[in-house]
Amino acid sequence: MTRRTIQIDLNRVEGDLDFQLELEDNKIVDARCIGSLYRGFEQILVSRKPKDSLVITPRICGICGTAQLNAAVLALEHIGQIPVPPTAIRIRNLCLMAETVQSDLRQSFMFFTADFCHSKYIHRPFYEKARTAFLPFKGWVHRGALEHSRHVVEIIALFGGQWPHSSYMLPGGVTTPANSRHIIDSLSILNKLTRWFEQTIIGTDLDAWLAMQSADEFFTWLTAKDAHADSAIGLFTLMSRDIGLQHVGFGTPHMISYGAYDDPDDAGTFPPHRKHLFRAGFLNGDTGDIEPFEQAEITEHVRYSWFQPYQGGRHPFQGQTIPDYQPHSDRYTWCKAPRYQNKVVQTGPLADALIDGEPLIRSLYQAEGGNAWLRQFARLHRTARLLHKMRETLHELAAQPNEPHMISPDEKEIPDGEGFGLVTAARGALGHWVQITDGVISRYQVVTPTAWNASPKDSEGRHGHWESSLIGLTVEDPDDPVEIGHIIRSHDPCLVCTVHLLDTGKRITVWP
Amino acid sequence: MGTRHIVCFGNELHGDDGFGTRIYAELRRLTWPEDVEVFNAGIAGLNALRFLEDCSQAILVDALANFGNVGEVCLLRPEDLADRPEQLTGHGLGIPYLLEALKVIREPLPDILIVGVEIAALKLFSPGLSDKTEQAVAKTVQLIRGLLSE
Repeated sequence: MTRRTIQIDLNRVEGDLDFQLELEDNKIVDARCIGSLYRGFEQILVSRKPKDSLVITPRICGICGTAQLNAAVLALEHIGQIPVPPTAIRIRNLCLMAETVQSDLRQSFMFFTADFCHSKYIHRPFYEKARTAFLPFKGWVHRGALEHSRHVVEIIALFGGQWPHSSYMLPGGVTTPANSRHIIDSLSILNKLTRWFEQTIIGTDLDAWLAMQSADEFFTWLTAKDAHADSAIGLFTLMSRDIGLQHVGFGTPHMISYGAYDDPDDAGTFPPHRKHLFRAGFLNGDTGDIEPFEQAEITEHVRYSWFQPYQGGRHPFQGQTIPDYQPHSDRYTWCKAPRYQNKVVQTGPLADALIDGEPLIRSLYQAEGGNAWLRQFARLHRTARLLHKMRETLHELAAQPNEPHMISPDEKEIPDGEGFGLVTAARGALGHWVQITDGVISRYQVVTPTAWNASPKDSEGRHGHWESSLIGLTVEDPDDPVEIGHIIRSHDPCLVCTVHLLDTGKRITVWP
Repeated sequence: MGTRHIVCFGNELHGDDGFGTRIYAELRRLTWPEDVEVFNAGIAGLNALRFLEDCSQAILVDALANFGNVGEVCLLRPEDLADRPEQLTGHGLGIPYLLEALKVIREPLPDILIVGVEIAALKLFSPGLSDKTEQAVAKTVQLIRGLLSE
C-alpha cells in the first residue's frame, strides 16, 4: 500500500482554494479544505453605525455583492420592523436574480465545462465536440457565455447605479423607482440573453424546457433531436455521464435552503416571517423529509479553524470571530464549520430546487441521488427558472408604474436590538446576524454559502461537505487529478468569500 | 479620434502588486487631454472589460513577473504575453486572460500597450511598494505621458 499527500490549487477566479488530500493506493482517505485568508469583515463592522453595513458588506464579494446587500438590509429591517413596499421587493428580487444568472452561466461554461477539454479525455468520443464547444476563448459556448453573461448585471446598474459593490437597498426599500425606461432597458437585456440561452444552452424554448417534470421526460428529450443533444446542456450532460459524474461527489445527504426571493405579495409581513417565491427548508438526508427551516438551529464550530477556541458550536448571535493563527497545530483553515441541527449540510442550487419541490430536479435526485452532474445540472436549470421569473417580475413592475419604491422609516436610526437577514445567493444560503447596542453594531456575523460547503471538520471531527464529497474517490493519476476538479467545481467554489491560498508543500494545478 | 484609456491593475494590500494602483494615484494628479481617461481596475478581473470598450487606444498598467530585472520598467505589446498566459500578475484572471476575453467581445481591438515594472515578489497583506519598485514610479509615469503625447 502506498500513501501520499497531494495539494491541489483549484480556483480559477481568484486562486483561493487549496485541498490537501491523503491517498492510499490512489484512493482518497482524508481531505482537508484549506482557507488561509482571514478577511475580518465582521471586525470591521463592530462599533460602526448600523447602516454602514449597507456599504461595507457588498464589498465582501465581487460576484455576490447584491446578495450581501440584500442580507444586510433584511437584518436591519428585521431589527427595526421596517416595512417595505412590494415594488422595492420586486426590484431587489430582479437584481438578485440577475446576479445569480451571471454567476451560474460563468461558473458553468467558463469554468466547469472547460475540464472536458482536458487531455485525459483525448481518446473519448466526445473530445472534439468538447473542444469545439467548451475550449476557453475558442469554443462556441465559452465565447457565447463570455459575451452574454456580462450584460445581465447591467440590470443591477440600472436600478443600483453600479455593479459590483452597489448600495441601493436601504431600510424601507430601494433608491430608484422602476420607471418605464428602466423596465424597457431591462427587458431588452433579458430578451437578448433569453434568446441566446434558448438557442445555445437548452436548444429549445424556455417554456418547453420548464415543462419537463421527470427524469424520463428529460432523457427522452435529450435524444429526441440533434438540437437537444448538441445544445450546451445536452453536451454537458452526455459528457458528464460518459465519464461517470452521475456516480460521484455526493457528500453529505443533508441540505438547507433559506428560501429564495421575498414574496412581494407578502410585503406586509416583516422578515423573517415573510414568504418566499422559492421555499425554505431542511432536507433531512436520514429520513428524506423536508422539514421547516429554523435559523436557531445554526451553529458554527472552530475546533479545526484558526480562531480563538471555544467549546462546541455557537449560534451566530453568540458567535465569536477572533483570529488566532496556529500553523503548527491540527487546525488548518480560516473557515469556520457551520452546522444545522448539529449536522453537516450542503447548500446551493441542488438543495434549493429539492427543498422547493422542483419536479424535474427531484425526479433526477430520486433516480440517482445528489451527484456531481446533478448538482451542476440543477444550477443550469435554475438559470432557466430565473430567466422566466425575471420576465414575470418586470411585467409586474410595468403593470404598477406609480407604486412607491420606498417607505421612509419613522425613525432615522436603526434601534438597538438583534436581527438577521437570510437570502439565497448564487452559491446558496447566505446569512447576516447583527446586534446593535447603544446605537452601534456590537456584533456582526456572516455565514456564507461557501462556509457551509467548504467547512472543515467540526468539534466532533466530522468532515465538511466538500471534504466528504471527495473521501472514497479513486484518482486515476494523482499527478493530474482531473476528477477532483469536476467534483469541487460542481459545488461552485467562491473562495473570495472565505479563503485564500496556503503556500506549502507540493502544488498541483488541475487546469490547464 | 476616439478616446484613449489608461487602465491600472493591482492590489495595494499585497506589496508590489499595488504598483498599478500606485501609478493610478500619480496619474490622477496630472492634467490630461480631454480624450484621455484614467481608470483604477484594481482586481476587477473580467469586469475590467468595460474599461476597454469604447476606446481607440488602451494602456494597461500592472506589476510584471519574469520580464526583466527587478525594478525595470517594461513596455510590452499583447503578443509579448501570448506564450505565458497566467504569469503576469498574482491575479487569477490577469491581463492575459482579459485580453483573450476582449478578442471575443470586441472587433477590432483597440491599440493596446502594457506598461509595468518587474517586481521582486508579492508580499501578502503588506501595503506599500518595495524600494526598487517605488523608484520605478516616476519613470513609469513619464513613459505613459510620453506615449500619450504623440
